[in-house]
Amino acid sequence: MLSAKLLVGEIVSSLRQVIGPAISEPYPKAQAYMAATILEFVARQIEERDGSDSKKAALLETLFDDIDRLGLPARIASPRARDAAALSELISNLYQVRSEIGESAFAAANLRVRQALRDLLSLDLEIAGKEGE
Amino acid sequence: MSVPSVAERITSYLKDRLPAASELSLSDFVQTAGGWSHEIYTFYANWRQDGRQMRQGFCVRKDPGCGLLRNLSSLHEQFRVIKALESTPVPTPRAYWYQDDPGLLGGPFFVMEKVEGEAPNPWSKAGKSFYAEAAKRGTLPRSFVEALASLHNLDWKAAGLDFIGVPAEGRDFARREIAKWESLIDQSIRKPEPALTELLMWLKVNAPEVQRLAFVHGAYRTGNLMIQNDAVSAIIDWELQVIGDPMYDVAYVLSDLNREGSPLLSCVVEREFFLDYYQLLTGLKIDLEVCRYYEILYMMRSTAFWLSASGLFAEGKNKDLRLARTTYSVPVVLDMAAKALGF
Repeated sequence: MLSAKLLVGEIVSSLRQVIGPAISEPYPKAQAYMAATILEFVARQIEERDGSDSKKAALLETLFDDIDRLGLPARIASPRARDAAALSELISNLYQVRSEIGESAFAAANLRVRQALRDLLSLDLEIAGKEGE
Repeated sequence: MSVPSVAERITSYLKDRLPAASELSLSDFVQTAGGWSHEIYTFYANWRQDGRQMRQGFCVRKDPGCGLLRNLSSLHEQFRVIKALESTPVPTPRAYWYQDDPGLLGGPFFVMEKVEGEAPNPWSKAGKSFYAEAAKRGTLPRSFVEALASLHNLDWKAAGLDFIGVPAEGRDFARREIAKWESLIDQSIRKPEPALTELLMWLKVNAPEVQRLAFVHGAYRTGNLMIQNDAVSAIIDWELQVIGDPMYDVAYVLSDLNREGSPLLSCVVEREFFLDYYQLLTGLKIDLEVCRYYEILYMMRSTAFWLSASGLFAEGKNKDLRLARTTYSVPVVLDMAAKALGF
């Protein structure tokens, strides 16, 4: 069986060099080229999915461990699951209790959260940030 | 509905609207490219009236029912805005008729004047070259600033534009914008985006005060301006207008988002000239800090657009592959916002 990467590469090449140029109507022509672009993204998504998911899970585990050590009230920093939804909730909670926990505690937690967000975004960009390569 | 079928139905509609016209026919009927929110058709109507041959350009904007802005876009509001602007110095097309009944074209639509000129896409090679050449001649950059100033100097109350909603003084404008785009996000999102949550929270905490409420276009840039003889013949794409902070439009002009590699703002105007001439024409002081805030708000808005677009595709409401492509734009825009916020 041919590798998925090779197959996708061939389909992309066909869309760009054979199918796209042969279509005269602007809308379907643009759709053919767009399909090629999307397939390239999808190929990377498949290729990097397992690694990316496990790295994200590890990042979130470490983040919530670090947040635990900051001594914030349990109701805002101890989610049942340590996933992206829990991180979003933590971020909202931190802003909501900012005056209660004080500026320095907020700043410390926000800094750590932002470090994690940067790392998570960088992982997403390994798939989404390479158009045309 | 096929384009010839739309043309046929519009011909019939115009015959009803122009009862004194005989031998009415349409020519140069095209569905224009672009417009993720609406279907747009332009054409000339030709007819005989009182023994004379008449020819008039029209543009039809139709709600496809599954546009990018979902329930946040109101075609009727757009029609009323364009109508209200007719008697003002703001260059806009004339608005003729609004049709709420979806029976005719499959959705509400309105008919307006087809303004002569062109609106080259600034992201295309040809568009970039068009604006760069016009910038060298010097007339279009002035017209670009003057048209924006005409918007911001407009007495919007006298023009009857307060029906679109007026924010309270202070920080209400930015908060309303955030709430609006957050509602689009809530309708569209398929998985949590923690970086977006951080962006939203930061925007809410840092909303700036407005120095003067003005009528704001919301997407003022080349590509949304019809140009004829190196002058703005009409501001188009009335979909994001609000009463709000004029710095919101200024920030859009200043934004790197709208010039992709060009040293010119919006690919057409020198930064220093824009800042000086705009302040001269409006009497407003450009606050670059506030503009920076709005630039970050635009990144959130772009994220909302891309989440909505890819969501529409995922929900099977719109099969245009351009919408699917935008799912990969979400982390790219969030990355820009994160860098702007320092992480």
